Amino acid sequence: MRSRITLLLKVAYARAYVRIKGGNREPSWVVWEILLPLLAVASVAYTYMILGAPREYIGFVVIGGAMISYWFNVIWGMGNALYWEKETGNLETFMITPAPLEGLLLGMALGGMFNTTLRALSIVLVGTMAFKASFNPSGLPAAFLIFVLTMVALYSLGMCIASIFLMYSRSGWRAAEVLQEPIMFLSGLYYPISIFPTLIQLLASSIPLTIGMDGIRRSLLLGYNLYDLRFHVISLSVMIPVLAYLAKRMLRYMELRAKVEGRLTLRWM
Amino acid sequence: MYSIETIELSRTFKRNKGRLIYALRDVNIKVRKGEIFGLLGPNGAGKTTLIRILATLLLPTSGKAYVLGYDVVGEANKVREVINVVSGGERSGYGIMTVKENLWYFTQLYGLSRRDGWRKVRELIELLGMEDFADIRLNRLSTGMIQKYNLARGLINDPKVLFLDEPTLGLDVEVAKYIRRLIRKLIKEDPERTIFLTTHYMAEAEELCDRIAIIHKGRIVALGSPEQLKKMICDELVYKLEVKGIYSKLGERLKEAGFSKAVSSKSDITTGLTSLRMVLSSEEEAEEVVKWLIGSGYKVISISKVEPSLEDVFLKLVGGKLSEE
Repeated sequence: MRSRITLLLKVAYARAYVRIKGGNREPSWVVWEILLPLLAVASVAYTYMILGAPREYIGFVVIGGAMISYWFNVIWGMGNALYWEKETGNLETFMITPAPLEGLLLGMALGGMFNTTLRALSIVLVGTMAFKASFNPSGLPAAFLIFVLTMVALYSLGMCIASIFLMYSRSGWRAAEVLQEPIMFLSGLYYPISIFPTLIQLLASSIPLTIGMDGIRRSLLLGYNLYDLRFHVISLSVMIPVLAYLAKRMLRYMELRAKVEGRLTLRWM
Repeated sequence: MYSIETIELSRTFKRNKGRLIYALRDVNIKVRKGEIFGLLGPNGAGKTTLIRILATLLLPTSGKAYVLGYDVVGEANKVREVINVVSGGERSGYGIMTVKENLWYFTQLYGLSRRDGWRKVRELIELLGMEDFADIRLNRLSTGMIQKYNLARGLINDPKVLFLDEPTLGLDVEVAKYIRRLIRKLIKEDPERTIFLTTHYMAEAEELCDRIAIIHKGRIVALGSPEQLKKMICDELVYKLEVKGIYSKLGERLKEAGFSKAVSSKSDITTGLTSLRMVLSSEEEAEEVVKWLIGSGYKVISISKVEPSLEDVFLKLVGGKLSEE
């Protein structure tokens, strides 16, 4: 058991190394990872400024923009990654080794998180400097805890999505697309979800990103402490084992189905 | 204990409208430790399917398969620790990373420590003579360099059973020769190691393999040493004929005319000749063939009796050349 965990961590480290080193080797990553995402945030921030919205709304948008980049990374960087691994023949080479698939996905998650964190930090930095967004430093510890919990929950969800790509390859894109716009809508990317009717608020609260984003906003913009955010922490802490268990089961099931149907190494589908 | 053992191994795939295609049908093979075992067959014969099952990438529909005694279905992780697979023309790895970095990545998948991983990478670079391109990105390598890298990757875990799927496919003569030399060296260095080789090249199989299985439409149609296989046609005669002109369907026409089913034809536009290779039962039958050709308006340039080769065994069993299938 211990050696299995050690192997998983080694694999995760190696895959993260490839992702970070390979991903940042071409300087063009600055354009894709930092400059372009900033434009979307800037356009919403300018809209709020022209409409004369309260200053807190700018901080709201900046945090939303930073957090949504993690969601994009989860669905397109992590879920989709197994599709590319399969197409390039790397999945086949991986699957003949004793390395656990979870290690590969964890490595992708960590590597992806590193790159996305650069993107998120640049959004926060530019938002603070250019749009004068202000944050409450006393909320940092609570924000950090909620951020970590949100990431674990989100990347567990990413493993579920990855298992769909493992089996269905390109068809998995549809599933990822289904998860992109509705979650952007429901998570309150640029607005508080309190504007929704109660039923939709409840539905939105089942998404870890919504809870995480709301918790971080409350801590960094309104100065809430950990006690004030206890329900956020509890909700995320409950979601994590559920999603992690679901991810493991889905991965095992999809791997088995893919081996039965001969899809594990099937390309161009 | 055998290195590889399959018992009544079958694999089907569902195609359009639920039609079943048999990729493997009741395959029984036993490969001993230290053997270079060849699997010969045309495209679609089931070679890669068999390797994928043995490498735990695909489940069999029925039957059993064991690698070093481990069940490929129930003990997949144990199998994965002792095997590796290298395919010709494969380009696995990350193009933006160097050869060294890619190899190090693969050492981690086998749980080597960082230091041991880098040591192994250095050893493999030396073994395969890759010093000149070890620091070059994978997406900038030539086909020959890629195949050396692939072999290095295949040796990362020092596998006890190495599957080589068309390892010299598309390589120039020198690199192919180098790879064949390396295959022999790998067995010499570790007599416990087994190499399971699939190839299109008869000469390669004859040169390297201790035993060969011929697979056709998912079934093993012959199994034995190259000499044993050649003995299968020792009572028959092999003729080589040259006919003036380009006739791509001449082999088919001879079969239709009721002559031997073991006939292959190849046209060469540079010489303007069509060559035939036929396995016949007697000299009289050869005369009949020549008579038929002349009577049908073909101009026979030459006819000669040749030594039977593995190619002819294949021709007799399958009814065509590997490349024609």
